[in-house]
Amino acid sequence: MRVFIAGKGTVSAIGSNCIESWDALRNLRSGIGRISVLPTIYADALPAGEVKFSNKELADIAGMDARTSRTALISAIAAKEALLDSGIDIKKYRTGFISANTVGGMDKTEIVYSEYLTKKSDAQLTGVMHHDSGSITELVADVLGIKDFISTISTACSSSANSMMYGARLIKSNLLDVVIAGGVDSLSRFTISGFNALMILDNKLCVPCDENRNGLNLGEGAGYVVLVSERVAKELGKNLDLILSGYANANDAYHQTASSPEGTGNFLAMTGALKMSALQASQIDYINLHGTGTKNNDLSEGLAVQKVFEKVPFASTTKCFTGHTLGASAGVEAVYSLLSMEHSTIIPNLRFETQMKELNFSPVTTLIENIELNHILSNSFGFGGNCSSLIFSKTTLN
Amino acid sequence: MEELIGTLKNQIVEQLNLQHLKAEEIGDDQLLFGEGLGLDSIDALELIVLMQQKYGIKLANPAEGPKIFQTVRTMADYIVANKKA
Amino acid sequence: MKNLNETMSVHGDVFINGISCISPQPTFDNALFLAEVKVHSKNKIYTVEPDYSKFLDAIAIRRMSRIVKFGTTAGLTALKESGAEKPDAISTATGYGLLEMSQRFLQDCVASGEGIVSPTTFIQSTHNTVSSNIAIIIGCNAHNNTFSQKGFSFESTLYDAFLMMKEGAQKVLIGAYEEIGEFNYASMLQANELKHEPCNNLETFNYQNDGNILGEGAAFFVLENEKRENTYGKLIGFHTFLSTDDSTIPSMEIETFFQKQGIALTDVDVVLTGVNGKEVFDKALLAVTEKLFTTSTIGAFKHLCGEYMTASAFAFWLAAKMLKTNTVPDVLVLKHANRKPNIILIYNQYLHYHSLMLFKNV
Repeated sequence: MRVFIAGKGTVSAIGSNCIESWDALRNLRSGIGRISVLPTIYADALPAGEVKFSNKELADIAGMDARTSRTALISAIAAKEALLDSGIDIKKYRTGFISANTVGGMDKTEIVYSEYLTKKSDAQLTGVMHHDSGSITELVADVLGIKDFISTISTACSSSANSMMYGARLIKSNLLDVVIAGGVDSLSRFTISGFNALMILDNKLCVPCDENRNGLNLGEGAGYVVLVSERVAKELGKNLDLILSGYANANDAYHQTASSPEGTGNFLAMTGALKMSALQASQIDYINLHGTGTKNNDLSEGLAVQKVFEKVPFASTTKCFTGHTLGASAGVEAVYSLLSMEHSTIIPNLRFETQMKELNFSPVTTLIENIELNHILSNSFGFGGNCSSLIFSKTTLN
Repeated sequence: MEELIGTLKNQIVEQLNLQHLKAEEIGDDQLLFGEGLGLDSIDALELIVLMQQKYGIKLANPAEGPKIFQTVRTMADYIVANKKA
Repeated sequence: MKNLNETMSVHGDVFINGISCISPQPTFDNALFLAEVKVHSKNKIYTVEPDYSKFLDAIAIRRMSRIVKFGTTAGLTALKESGAEKPDAISTATGYGLLEMSQRFLQDCVASGEGIVSPTTFIQSTHNTVSSNIAIIIGCNAHNNTFSQKGFSFESTLYDAFLMMKEGAQKVLIGAYEEIGEFNYASMLQANELKHEPCNNLETFNYQNDGNILGEGAAFFVLENEKRENTYGKLIGFHTFLSTDDSTIPSMEIETFFQKQGIALTDVDVVLTGVNGKEVFDKALLAVTEKLFTTSTIGAFKHLCGEYMTASAFAFWLAAKMLKTNTVPDVLVLKHANRKPNIILIYNQYLHYHSLMLFKNV
C-alpha cells in the first residue's frame, strides 16, 4: 500500500509557512544571522537561523497562550498549516500525531532553573510542567483536536524522519488512516552552550560541503507532512501524486557524537531506503543532504553518498538557509523536498567555494529550474549514530 | 614543573572522571590518546575546558589539541608557555 | 465513517524471550521473583542498583550517569538472557529523558553565565543516549528508536516492535528507562502531587495520605517470533487510548479490545492496574476494572515501583515473571480470586493515557 502526502506545513528562519519558505529558497535568501529573539551572550558571536517572531507573536499566529513553550508554538503553526493544506476532516478518519523534538520545553525550564538554583523549593516551579518532549506534542495535539494516538520521537537530528517512518508504518498496518508526522525544535541557551562545548559551531555563516567548512549554525523550526493511506488519498479526490516511497533507519554504532569515518550508518540508511522503494540509486534525481557544515558529518556523509551512488546526482543542503534545526530538520527538509518536486526546481547550496578534497562531487551551487524530479532522497543523521533516510516519489493515484 | 605535572594528573583524573585510575598511575610521558590511556575526542574537549577553567588558556582551534595533549608533560609545557600571569 | 473502537489495537502473538528489570525493588536477579519486598519511607524511591562493573566497561562507565548505567545494563542483560547477540531492531522509551545530566548541564550553564561548560554532560543528556549506547556496545547497526510521550512512551515501543516484525524483524529489543531528577521532584512536590513524608510504599493506596510516590527504573525485553526453551510467555495483544476526563473511563474501549481478541472478560485470570495512590484516578480505574472483570484477581504494581511515565514497563516485567513462575505474589493483590495466571491483563493509566497489555502463558 502506498502512503500519500496530502498536506505539508513549515516554519523556520526563512518563513512562517510554505509559500514564504519557498519564496526565500527560490530567491536564495538565507535566514541565518544575529540572534535577536533569544536573550543570549552569544547573540552577536554565533549566527543562527532563528524564527523571526517573538513568543507573543507566535502565540497570536498559533492561537495559543503566550506563556506556552516556544517549541509548542512553532510546532502548532506548522502542524496546523499541514492539516489545513490537506483539507482533511479528522473526525472522519483514525488520525494520529507523531511529532519529534529534542529540546522539549527547555526554553521555559532554563528560565525557571536559574531561579531554582538560588531559591530552591521557594522558586515558582510551575514553568517546568511542559519540560518533557511528550508534553509539547500533547499541547499541539489538543490544538489540532487529535485524540486517537499521539507519540513523540527523540533521536537527536534524525527525530522527524523517524516520526515520518513510524507514521507511514502505522498507516500501512491499518492502525491509522491519517498521520500528521514531523517535528520541531526551538533555540535555547542550553542547546547553544551544548553545541558550543562540542566546538562544532561556526562563528560565521556556515559553508556546508566546503573544504573550508568550519561547523554548523544552529536553527529552529518545524516541518510536518500529512500522511494518508491509499484509500484516503482516493477519497480526498485531489489527485494526490506524491508518496513516501521508501525509508530506513540504521545505527552507526560507533560513537555518541562522531560519525564513523566511512559513514556506515549513513550508507545503511540510504541503501535501506532505496531497497524499500525498490529503486536503483540511478533513479534518484536529487539528494537533500544532511549537510550540517561540520568537518565530520559532511565527510562521512559525502563518502557514504559516493559509495551508494556510482554517479552522484544533484545534491545540496538547505541548512545553508535555515541553519541546523536539530529535531525538526528532517521535517523541514521533507517539506522543502516536496516543494522542490512540485516546482521542478533544485535549491542550491549557498556560499560554497571549494570542493572537499576527499570527494568526487560538489553540491549544486546555482538554482536549477524546469527539472523533472521524480524521486528525492533526504538524509538526516543524528547523535547516537542515529541515521535516517527518506525517499519521496511522484506517482499516479489511479 | 614536577608540582605542575602532579597537579595536572589529579585534575585530569577529575575532569575525565577516570574512576578506575589513580593520578600517580599516569606516566609523565604516557600517551593519553589512542593506545595509551585510550581517551577519545570528547575527552579532548574536556581537556580544553580544563585548560580554560584552571589555567585561563583558551584553545580556539581544537585541531591544536592532539599536539598539546599528547602527554601530561606536553600539556605542562604548554601551560608554562601560555599561562596568563 | 471511522470506527473509534478499532483504533490502535494490535492482536497477534510474540514471545517474550529475555527480560531484565532494575527498579526500587530487588528485581535484577531473574532467578528470584519478589522474594524480598523493599519498604521505602520517602515519597521518592530510587532503584536498587547492581554492581555495574560486571556488565559495563570501566573506561566507558566513567561517562555514564545512573540512568545510562541502569538502562544499558538492563538492555544488555535481557539480550544475554535471550541468547540473541544482536536484535533486528532496538526500540526504547523515556518520559523525562536523562534528567541528572540535563540538570547538571543547566547548572553549569547558569553558573558559568553561558561560559565554558563540559561537553560530556550535554552529550549524555540526549534521550537516545541509552539506546545508542547499547548499539555501540554490541555493534548493532539495526533500526534504533527512542520515544518520549508520557504514558504512551513504553507503549510506543510495542507498536514499533510490532511494525518492525511485520517487515521481517525476527527479534526486537524493547525497553524503557526513567530517573528521578531533583528539579522535577521539587516541581511535583510544589504541585501537591506527592504523598507527605514519612510514607510507606506498601500503603500507597491508603488515601488519607493522598498522592503518588515518585519512582524510577529500567525494564527491557526481547520479543521474538519464535518460542524458545526459556520463553516467559506471550504478549498476545495491546491497545492504547486517551481519556478526555480524568474520572470517566470509556469501558467500551476495553470491551471492544477483548471482543477483537476473541477472549471473554471472565477468561482473564489477573488484572494488574496502574492505580498510583491518587484517589481521583484510582477510584475511576478500579471502578471500571471491577465492573468488567468480576471474576479476576485484581492487583496493583505502583506501590512497588512508584509512579513514573514508563512504569508500565515494570508491570510488563511482572506479567512475564507471573507467567514463568505460574504464581501471583500476594504483595501484588488487591482482591484475590485465587486463579492461576494463564491470562494476564496489565491496565495502566498515567493521567489521561490508558494502555492495555494482554499476556498468555505458553
